[in-house]
Amino acid sequence: MSTTSSRREFLKQGALAGAVTLGGAAWTETATNAAGPMDMAIARWKGGDSPVSDIAVKLTEQAMEAIGGMKRFVSKGDVVWIKPNIGWDRTPEQAGNTNPDVVKTLVRMCLDAGAKTIKVGDNTCNPAEKTYVTSKIGEYAREAGAEVVFLDPNRYRDMDIGGERLKMHPVYPEVVECDLVISVPITKHHSATKMTNCMKNFMGVVEKRQIFHQDLPTCIADITAFMKPRIAVMDAVRILTANGPTGGDLKDVSQPNIIAAGTDLVALDAFGAELLGQDPKTMETVLVGEKRGLGVSDYHSLKLKELDVA
Amino acid sequence: MSGHRSHSLMQWTRRSCQCVFLCLFLYLVMLARWGGNEPSPLLALFFDFDPLVSVATWLSTHTLAAGSLLSLITIAVTLLLARVFCGWVCPLGTVHHLMTWLGQRGRRPRVRESRSPWQRLKYLLVVGLLVMTLFGVHWVGVFDPLSLFYRSMTAFGVPAAHYVVEDSATSVYRADPKVGDWHVTSVTEPVYKFFRDRVFFTKRQGFQGSSLIALLFVLILALNLVRPRFWCRYVCPLGGGLGFLSQWPALRLENNADLCNNCGLCARVCPAAAQPDQPGQWLKTECFACWNCVATCKQGALHFTLAPPIRKPVAGKMDFSRRAAVGAVAGGVAALTGFRQTPLAQSKVFEPSLIRPPGALPEREFLQRCIQCGMCMRACPTNALQPCGLEGGVEGLWTPRIVPKVGYCVYDCNLCGQVCPTGAIAPLVLEEKKSVKMGLAVFDKNRCLPHSYGRNCIICEEHCPLPKKAIFFVEQEVTLPSGEKAVVKQPQVDPSLCTGCGICEWSCVFKDRAAINVTSANESRNPGNIAILGDAYF
Repeated sequence: MSTTSSRREFLKQGALAGAVTLGGAAWTETATNAAGPMDMAIARWKGGDSPVSDIAVKLTEQAMEAIGGMKRFVSKGDVVWIKPNIGWDRTPEQAGNTNPDVVKTLVRMCLDAGAKTIKVGDNTCNPAEKTYVTSKIGEYAREAGAEVVFLDPNRYRDMDIGGERLKMHPVYPEVVECDLVISVPITKHHSATKMTNCMKNFMGVVEKRQIFHQDLPTCIADITAFMKPRIAVMDAVRILTANGPTGGDLKDVSQPNIIAAGTDLVALDAFGAELLGQDPKTMETVLVGEKRGLGVSDYHSLKLKELDVA
Repeated sequence: MSGHRSHSLMQWTRRSCQCVFLCLFLYLVMLARWGGNEPSPLLALFFDFDPLVSVATWLSTHTLAAGSLLSLITIAVTLLLARVFCGWVCPLGTVHHLMTWLGQRGRRPRVRESRSPWQRLKYLLVVGLLVMTLFGVHWVGVFDPLSLFYRSMTAFGVPAAHYVVEDSATSVYRADPKVGDWHVTSVTEPVYKFFRDRVFFTKRQGFQGSSLIALLFVLILALNLVRPRFWCRYVCPLGGGLGFLSQWPALRLENNADLCNNCGLCARVCPAAAQPDQPGQWLKTECFACWNCVATCKQGALHFTLAPPIRKPVAGKMDFSRRAAVGAVAGGVAALTGFRQTPLAQSKVFEPSLIRPPGALPEREFLQRCIQCGMCMRACPTNALQPCGLEGGVEGLWTPRIVPKVGYCVYDCNLCGQVCPTGAIAPLVLEEKKSVKMGLAVFDKNRCLPHSYGRNCIICEEHCPLPKKAIFFVEQEVTLPSGEKAVVKQPQVDPSLCTGCGICEWSCVFKDRAAINVTSANESRNPGNIAILGDAYF
């Protein structure tokens, strides 16, 4: 991480702080120990009716600011992989993929924080050539200055996962070689695991994942442990509440207008489970993740900042 | 007129014209793929201009697509200028021309190209094929040069080019060679990404039976070593058809017998064996108007002139007797009756693996239109559409079918119907397309993990694109090998929802033979093959 702050960056921070104030954020800290950077932030929209894109942009910015800003994670010259869920040939309204505005905002914030290259890509379920377009993530990420990567099936490399289930498994090298990987899932119902969120999102950096389904919680924990994530941003602007992970019916979509960012993916997943009306204590992925020491399910025990954004 | 120079100018004009059309053809082949927006309306351009396709489709269906009216232009041009299409436009003809030139290695052939009785083969073929078309067997596409070329490029040419680019780039990427601090990949990767993102765009395709298609293509190219433009001269039914229209052309070759010293150079360079060397015996229905003879003649004895078509040309007669005509008709009838005597052709049975693309017309009507060009296969974003072998009978050779093991029909995609040049696959709007049933999925419960091995899985259910999921699951207690009891989710198919898109079979964890298979059962287009009562009818 860069320790010196250039004049340009200082001015940029000042401008951003100003924007935050003007935006009317009211920070309500609930953590008992407020010293040091936050572990997790939950930004909720309280601005009434607004275009979804505005909501997504503002919530992303402020959730990230609340956990210390992008500079906490990105150093000058870094190569960053932003890993949204772009799995399905669905529109943003259908809530099958991460909101494109969230991705766009993160790309911009990474570049502002001094990153050299931002790559955006996912090992998709439907053809990437189609999902990148339908989800609008390809277009938005490119406009924001990212390199949109189509994962090449020939380039996966067997890597030593060292997990309980997964030993040697094909992973996409370009992702692992990045200085930082940001998991940016959309919170969705999932028929097999009840939910797909931050941890499960890493299934998009590996190949041969059909066999995971025989023990998804363990495999997801294995791959998450392997990726050693430092940050995730959870998109719950829209969520898919049933018939996941594909959805398709707008009746199954609800709009909580929430973005959560944090360093603990288990905690974020526990929070996501609550949004879907599930008890985190019954979520196998959360339980296994916690048991493996990847995080804590009781996100209230973390240094948590909850903020209302308008 | 300083004869020589302007004649070779005509040759060069013709060559440029050939290049332009060949490049345009290949460009349109490359363009016929999912690209993020509406497909170009120009994709079927060459087929629209192809009179063999439009006449055959008109004979088989008694309908004419609006675009195919453009073929009237080709017909008009041929009536006036004879087979200039073959010499100046046809992209496959150009490839043959190139092959001939390569085969001669820049040297002039040593013997005169003389007329052969085999040149009538193409006339027999076109008559036979059109007779078959009249009875609804659309085998024109097997021989039509544009269809043949398109199919060969789709099934073999483009995937091969893609393979070369992808594999060489990947090899460099893996090895990562360095010159000092400089990585070779800093050049190869941007080049590869350009091809990946701008040229090919979709993942590399592969086609079942592509070796046969490639082999036939290579064979007809190699035949140019036997005789110049072998295909065009002896086989091509489009060339044959255009020959029929070249009886009274305005463009005529004249051999001035006073100047001719009978050196035979013109006949040696004539790729069509059109007898330019024999005054008054020029074969108007064979000539490609390529200008080789005129440009080669040292005596200035040869000239193309424009004469009013009402004056009978002084020329050799087309080699097509009444007896030949009877033979061609008889051959066509024999072939079509031969094709038809199978249970499949009689619609007594249905082939389970013959899963047609969404919007495909009922089988008989489909076969009356499909010209086996392969444009739908090229456009399919998942490579699901594959050329048939004999699954659809001999009649259905190289027509498209979905092979779910290779790829599946994307729920929000109707590209195949949009690009189909003849309407064999109807251009359905998306909402309509989503309601079309192409087949029905059925579980092989002896293989399916939750059914047979007591393990969880349901990838098929996860992938099912229907908003209400055509695959549901039942929680079932099972006994594990250890004797322990466990509860697993066992998937089932809802036949009233399933569209047979095949994503379940494609995504199944078993890659050799999936535990869920789609067959053509319940396909909307064939009432005789509908198995499910009730709301499955619509």
